[in-house]
Amino acid sequence: MLFENRDKTPPTPAKLLRGWLEPIVADAPLAWLDHQIAAVESGDESALYLAFGFAPRKVGKQPLEPSALQLDLAQEARSGWDPSRWSVGQAARTLLLLSIPSEDPAPYFARLEKLFNAAELNESVALFQALPLLPHPELLVPRAIDGLRTNVKFIFAAIAHHNPFPEENFSEAAWNQMVLKALFIGAELDPMIGIDRRVNPALAEMLIDYAHERRAAARPIPPELWRMVGPFADATALEDMAALFAAGTEVEQAAIALALAASATDEADEILRTKPQLASQLDQGKLTWSGVCAAAYAN
Amino acid sequence: MYIDPHIHCSSRTTDDYERMAEAGIVAVIEPAFWLGQPRSNAGSYHDYFSSLVGFERFRAAQFGIKHYCTIGLNAKEANNERLAEEVLDMLPLFLAKENVVAVGEIGFDDMTAAEERALRVQLDLAKELELPVMIHTPHRNKKRGTYRSMDIIEEHGVAPHMVVIDHNNEETAKEVLDRGYWAAFTIYPKTKMGNQRMVEIVKQYGSDRIIVDSSADWGISDPLAVTKTANLMLSQGIAEQDVQLTCYKNAIDAYNQSGQFNEADWLNPTPIDEQKLFEGNSVLRGQRPDTNTPQEDEIIS
Ligand SMILES: [Zn+2]
Repeated sequence: MLFENRDKTPPTPAKLLRGWLEPIVADAPLAWLDHQIAAVESGDESALYLAFGFAPRKVGKQPLEPSALQLDLAQEARSGWDPSRWSVGQAARTLLLLSIPSEDPAPYFARLEKLFNAAELNESVALFQALPLLPHPELLVPRAIDGLRTNVKFIFAAIAHHNPFPEENFSEAAWNQMVLKALFIGAELDPMIGIDRRVNPALAEMLIDYAHERRAAARPIPPELWRMVGPFADATALEDMAALFAAGTEVEQAAIALALAASATDEADEILRTKPQLASQLDQGKLTWSGVCAAAYAN
Repeated sequence: MYIDPHIHCSSRTTDDYERMAEAGIVAVIEPAFWLGQPRSNAGSYHDYFSSLVGFERFRAAQFGIKHYCTIGLNAKEANNERLAEEVLDMLPLFLAKENVVAVGEIGFDDMTAAEERALRVQLDLAKELELPVMIHTPHRNKKRGTYRSMDIIEEHGVAPHMVVIDHNNEETAKEVLDRGYWAAFTIYPKTKMGNQRMVEIVKQYGSDRIIVDSSADWGISDPLAVTKTANLMLSQGIAEQDVQLTCYKNAIDAYNQSGQFNEADWLNPTPIDEQKLFEGNSVLRGQRPDTNTPQEDEIIS
């Protein structure tokens, strides 16, 4: 059931989500959802809290599995929005969130806060993954930053991965903390939207220190770390990179090759030329950060 | 494969979770209850509820145990009327959560008017949301408290098959079963029920609507009580089928009336859940679980 887009305005995320549910949710639960959405739109607070909890039970918990075409439409409706890992229940929850009256920011925000504060695990995921679709993003930044303090990796990932909200809204300090924490808890960097656009010297400096400290302690360094270091590599970084390039694992060497290419200094070039085979793989575009990420976390 | 349908995991250590998983416990229900000291404000109740639906569920999953909970204002704290009012108002925010399988544990402690009021409000909520109810029966004046709870439940038109009456003993079992309720028994060392006595109860009443749990909490209690009781039943000639009913299947039938306590949840978790629940090992923090379990006395008296 594709959205008919006769005029030039792209469909809203809410319209898309509602349309995607149409063929996969039975009539009765869909009618239930529409009824709850209308109640939430009219300002009914307790309908919001109860329906938000009940939604997956009513409409189902199976994966949403949007098609490639649907994902394109999602991008068109909201750039960076990636619902490919969403469930049907999560889509329903997001529709409820999008129905909260938001013209007056204070009561709108108070309702969202109540949902965040009482959220169970799957609700937290739904809330954080809905962030890029919600109005008044500036009000939601502290909540997103706070969410990254979790010990639960899949909640961290709901904010940090496949989500355009951090790139668009985080200060440099908050962004850098997110990247650092990801490295500490073993969360991938590649799925972070904007990871290369938001490199910065302060982050690189912290990571260079961290990598150097790890190397001194003979501990492994997450290969993805070099992605943020490459463009700002200083003497310390180059020394560590040269050592890893010479004696590291295959994935470490690939990461260093990519970082050296990004550094674009003569010294970096020299190090790169010590391994002509990797340099040529690099030239042929065979090495990618996504590949490094996949290899680093494979097992 | 066993279920402990009444255990206060927040008070237990990761060692307990490891031993429970080894002993065959696949799922647990953690009822909202007293912390051992009074809560001074509704905020701490809010955070307790949110840890039951959040972090504790995550922590249990890291040991391969599916965690569910019940949400309610307990009888003791119903007596702090200002706190009680705020907590009762908060319940709709938590009762609709995905892993909440009942309203509970509610009921009587001192049998005061305030306790009765909180019980009645929560019975109405359970009816409205079509959720089962878990009833805590008092330690003192148990028989009268149990009967009074059932009278009130019937007055509110809540069907007995939707209600688990917990912490039964030899005195209360017959009436509870006769009136059509699920009868749960807490195997709790020294104070509540011993497992040898439990064997006698199953011999007398059979396995229909009888449920065994540990109620293990911050007191001297045993998170392996369900498994030990099952072993004792088997060793004393109780049929395997009856052991499966009292230590596994009856709890599913009682609490899945919520639609939230289904065998499929732990037998074949959906790929999404598995990815979510078993990724990110923040509790173990890199240590390997120690699997050296000492042999322990199987009798709980
Ligand atoms: Zn209890």
